[in-house]
Amino acid sequence: MNTHPYLRAYMAGIVVPSIVLLFVLTGFIIARHVYEVPIPIERAIVFPMGIVPSAFGVWNMFYLWLRPRRHLPIGFHGALLPCLLVPLGYCLGRSLGILTFGPNGLTYFQAVALPYAFFAAGFSIGLIAYYLIWKYLVGFFNQVLGIA
Amino acid sequence: MNNKEDEKIQTLLKQAMAPVDRELERDLWPQMLRRLEQRAAAVPWFDWALLALLVVGLLISPHTIPVLLYHL
Repeated sequence: MNTHPYLRAYMAGIVVPSIVLLFVLTGFIIARHVYEVPIPIERAIVFPMGIVPSAFGVWNMFYLWLRPRRHLPIGFHGALLPCLLVPLGYCLGRSLGILTFGPNGLTYFQAVALPYAFFAAGFSIGLIAYYLIWKYLVGFFNQVLGIA
Repeated sequence: MNNKEDEKIQTLLKQAMAPVDRELERDLWPQMLRRLEQRAAAVPWFDWALLALLVVGLLISPHTIPVLLYHL
């Protein structure tokens, strides 16, 4: 299996977010339609649904391209992805009007206020989560598809 | 076409085509056994600590969960 390594890297990369997204979407829909949470999910879901899986795939292709040149362990490589995704999500949230920037913190969906300290803590949690997801899950799928 | 020409063509064909190795250069079975016996690498303590930190962080500040789900 030596052909199309970048296509295989893309496919290995999108598996995890595609599966997770299924559960996240189910949770969002239940919250919106069953518990009637006043959050405009239709607008919020655009970013995780449209960009994150493709970003994983492209980031894994980049990992494959980078490996012979400057090898970085896959966990660290994955932990760098939030540094791109968070600003992207921020820009999209601002443009869609679901994220506002205040003196004390960020407000999502005009409902969830998050002080900057918690935002920083959340970002650190995200880095850890991405490190572990990339090291163990994406790494496993890379092995399965023969590109590890 | 006489026999001499047949032999000439045979010789030319043999020269043009490399002989096919019917045998493998090495025995692959020991390598296969080694692969089967390989155990999955143990998870280092550092990763367990990170996982614990992640869980504790989410328990301390659960309102970051929807934000994480949105951004990541």
